[in-house]
Amino acid sequence: MERQNFHKELDHLKMTVYKMAASARKSLDNACKAYQERDDDLAQTIIDGDREINQIELDIDRQSLRLLALEQPMARDLRMIVGIMRISNDMERIADQCVNIAERTIFLCQHPPIEPVPAMDSLIGITRKMFFLAVNAFRDMDAQSAREIPAMDDEADEYTMQVLKGLIEDMASSSPGFEKRVLKMRRNIQTIIISRCLERIADLSTNIAEHVAFIAEGINIKHQNKQ
Amino acid sequence: MTQTVKFAVKDLDFYYGDFKALEGICMEIHERGATALIGPSGCGKSTFLRCLNRMNDLIPSSHVSGEIFLGDQNIYAPDIDVVHLRRRVGMVFQKPNPFPKTIFENVAYGLRVNGYRNKAALREAVEKSLVDAALWDEVKDRLNASALGLSGGQQQRLCIARALAVRPEVLLMDEPASALDPIATQKIEDLIHELKQHYTIVIVTHNMQQAARVSDITAFFYMGRLIETGETETLFTRPQLKQTEDYITGRFG
Repeated sequence: MERQNFHKELDHLKMTVYKMAASARKSLDNACKAYQERDDDLAQTIIDGDREINQIELDIDRQSLRLLALEQPMARDLRMIVGIMRISNDMERIADQCVNIAERTIFLCQHPPIEPVPAMDSLIGITRKMFFLAVNAFRDMDAQSAREIPAMDDEADEYTMQVLKGLIEDMASSSPGFEKRVLKMRRNIQTIIISRCLERIADLSTNIAEHVAFIAEGINIKHQNKQ
Repeated sequence: MTQTVKFAVKDLDFYYGDFKALEGICMEIHERGATALIGPSGCGKSTFLRCLNRMNDLIPSSHVSGEIFLGDQNIYAPDIDVVHLRRRVGMVFQKPNPFPKTIFENVAYGLRVNGYRNKAALREAVEKSLVDAALWDEVKDRLNASALGLSGGQQQRLCIARALAVRPEVLLMDEPASALDPIATQKIEDLIHELKQHYTIVIVTHNMQQAARVSDITAFFYMGRLIETGETETLFTRPQLKQTEDYITGRFG
């Protein structure tokens, strides 16, 4: 009663998730690079590339529903398909956040740079690391590594707060001229929105890690960190 | 909620001649609920089922060691009345096997053997059994027609009514729906959901989805051993042992 065809199709579904993860990671890396290097051409490529990620999400949905309906998977296979559907949804939302970062970056590129915000680089670093580790934990089905990711979310939250605090203080300090003050506020608000997008990506990476632990061990670790 | 143990199986070995078909089975089966036995062909699940009402006694050269307690009574004790045991522990087989008699007589048979003589009481008991087996509405106007004229699904429910007529405590079901079409199968599964409120049901099935749907507890057998037993939901979503996982996910069989 070996189900070779089903497992071949399940392997194909996993390969589609790897493809989506690679695309989402490229979007995240490019979004961060475009912001840090003020590269509006690179930012535009992220907006243009989002459609491909949306298509992969639809493909994963279609494959997953088909396997659920026709193969009636059990145990780890069932958890894998349910987990993949959740993970692909989270990765699609990560890609959307990258588009949001890219749109803000294009605005920022049209104006002089703001004062450096060191916490922003730290936030970019931890966010990229969390997504990278979550995807690796999925690839290796490594529940132990996955369990370590939610704790990093506190660090991301802390950096986000530092960015917010720094930019609000900067806005509160007086600048000569009404128009300059308005421009500063607009740039700082766009940067704050970028930091919120990164913080959401860290949250979604935590979700992915939680789904990996669920797939690997059948235990739901969601919300444990917050209880 | 504490559950009453209906069967307590202790160190059960079973042999067909020299071949050891079951080895060291220890298991408790709780009252009022459905326990599914799953595993690949030849794993011993049907042999184990038939041990529970000593149907295997009918197989020459077979023998058993260990104990099976039904309540506080060891059913393999020398003084056990096997006919009485099988009245307490009824059985339904894979292929519907109604007697070549009327629908009424099929259900009344066991009652007559057990001394029912009063016609009104007999009629009442037959009706109750057919109602319990979810067949009454389909046959109430033709109780004197031959049971062999019923569809396969109806015949199987008639066999269940026949088993229920003598008011057993336990109902053993050996792949009761494997010869039936999907609609008849659905009716049997719905019936199991009803019956398990009042009876202890032990079901052998090759259909894992069926085991998942109808049972509260599932036991996985492999090569004559009981590998894992647990709540059905847990066993099918998060089994404890890799061997169980590999079987139910179709990685061997």
